[in-house]
Order: sequence, then structure tokens, then C-alpha cells
Amino acid sequence: MSLGLLYLLLLKATVTSFSGMGGLPQIRQDLVSTYQVVSDEQLSRAVLLGRSTPGPLGIYVVSVGYVVRGWPGAAVGWLALISPAFVAVPLLLVLRRWIHLARMRSAVDAVVIAGGTLLVPAGLLLARDAAFQLRELLGG
Amino acid sequence: MAAMELMRRSLVRRQWLDEAGHAMLVAVSRFTPGTNLLAYCAALGWMHFRGVGAAVAVVAGSLPAALMVAAMTAAVARIDRSPSVRTALAVATLVAGALVLSSAWALLRPHLFGSRRRWAIVAIALAAALYLAGATPVRVLLALAVLGAATPTREAA
Repeated sequence: MSLGLLYLLLLKATVTSFSGMGGLPQIRQDLVSTYQVVSDEQLSRAVLLGRSTPGPLGIYVVSVGYVVRGWPGAAVGWLALISPAFVAVPLLLVLRRWIHLARMRSAVDAVVIAGGTLLVPAGLLLARDAAFQLRELLGG
Repeated sequence: MAAMELMRRSLVRRQWLDEAGHAMLVAVSRFTPGTNLLAYCAALGWMHFRGVGAAVAVVAGSLPAALMVAAMTAAVARIDRSPSVRTALAVATLVAGALVLSSAWALLRPHLFGSRRRWAIVAIALAAALYLAGATPVRVLLALAVLGAATPTREAA
């Protein structure tokens, strides 16, 4: 997988996420299911390492990038992580006028709810895969 | 949110920001795609030093952790062939699954126990139905954004 494509796929996940882990379902769909460059086990590990590290919750995309393409991939993951943050600047200028509007706040709330709901199957998949691994390793 | 609270205390004490400014930054960061903390940093940096401030704040808020997590990933990839390490990683992955579920709960809980409980339940049901029907996460988010914009709170409308 090229670094450009990796950046675009990770950016798609980070740009459509409104919470640290919100992009996880998209990353799983693209990198595990569609392109098959990351296994569920590797993705689970990336999430774990991201949560074990001080810093933003979404930092696990750096680990995902490393899994796919080593250090250049990690750099691409970092760029995909920070790119959406700069959208905050024009939003700051616009929302200074509009954030008091009920429709705007309600849209934000709904997107946050969608992000939370989409995390549930992602979390269940991680737990299921870990349980399968444990059963195999322990000879069950 | 814990990091933002720490930043608020520090910035207010230094008189770089007042409470209203912090509330605006939190609102902006919630509406910005991606990691809320980095959006907060970008907006804060812009308020004080424009483009350079935004870039410096975002890099400072992310680069140390990015280097750390990449190094940890590299280290783990080298040692994960050992059965004991794999067992430990599997247990840790189980914990990661629980952490993801707790993140989901942290996002949903304020809405499920807030003033718009029924609306939140409908939104969750719609998101779940779309997901189960095979909609991509992007489409689920867009559909919910439309639902939210179409159904604002009555008292604030």
C-alpha cells in the first residue's frame, strides 16, 4: 500500500471521527476488511498501545501506520491524526457566530451519539478476538 | 476532557484565556472532526499567534506521544512471538476492548441521562440500525448529523 493511499484512508477515519476512538470502525473496514494490510490482532494491539501512551486518544492511528509501512507509515499516521485539527481554525471563526444555534448544537450531539454507538461493535470485536486468542494460547 | 481541564486551569491562571474563551474552544473542538484535544490546541494557538501558534500547539500536543507509540509498536512487533508475550498481549487486548466500550459509554451517557433522553435513544437506534444494515461509518455519521440539525432542542430553537 502506498503512503499516499495510507494517508488518505487514515485521514478518512480521523476526519469522520468526533472522538478519539471514533475512527476505529472506519479503519477496521478499510485496512482489515477491504485492503487486508492489517489483521484484527494488529489493530487491537495498536488500540492498546495508543491507550497505554500519554497523549491524545486517537494516537493509535500512528501505531496502525507503523504496522502497515514502518516508520514512514507512522509519520503518515501522525499527519492523518493532526490534519483535521486545523479545521478548528475556520470553525472557530464561524462557530463564534453560530454555535448558539440549536440546530448546530443538535447536529453536534447527534454526531457524537453516532460515534459512541459505532464504537460498541468495535469494542465487542476486540474483546471477541482477544477471547479467541486466549483460548488458542491456553490450549482450550 | 481531562487534558482540556488541565489546560484550562493552567491557561486561566496565566490569564491567556477566560472561562468564556475556554467554553468556546471546547465547543469548537467538539465540532471539529478528529481528536478533540488537538482541535482545542489548534484553536488556542490560532487565538494567540495565528497560523504559527496553531501549528506549534498541534505539534507539541501530538508529536511526543506519536514518537512514543511508534517506538512501542516497533518494540512489541519484535518480541510478540513468545507464547508468554502473546498471552499477555491477548489479555491486554481484552482490556483494550473494555476500554473501547467504556469510551462509547462516556460519549453516550451524558445524552442518555440528559434532558433529551428519548431523542438520544432514537438517535442511537437509528445509528445502530444503519450500521446493521451495512451503512459505512461515514454515512451513519452524516445521517445522524442531518437528524440532529432537523430536530433541534425546543427550548433553544
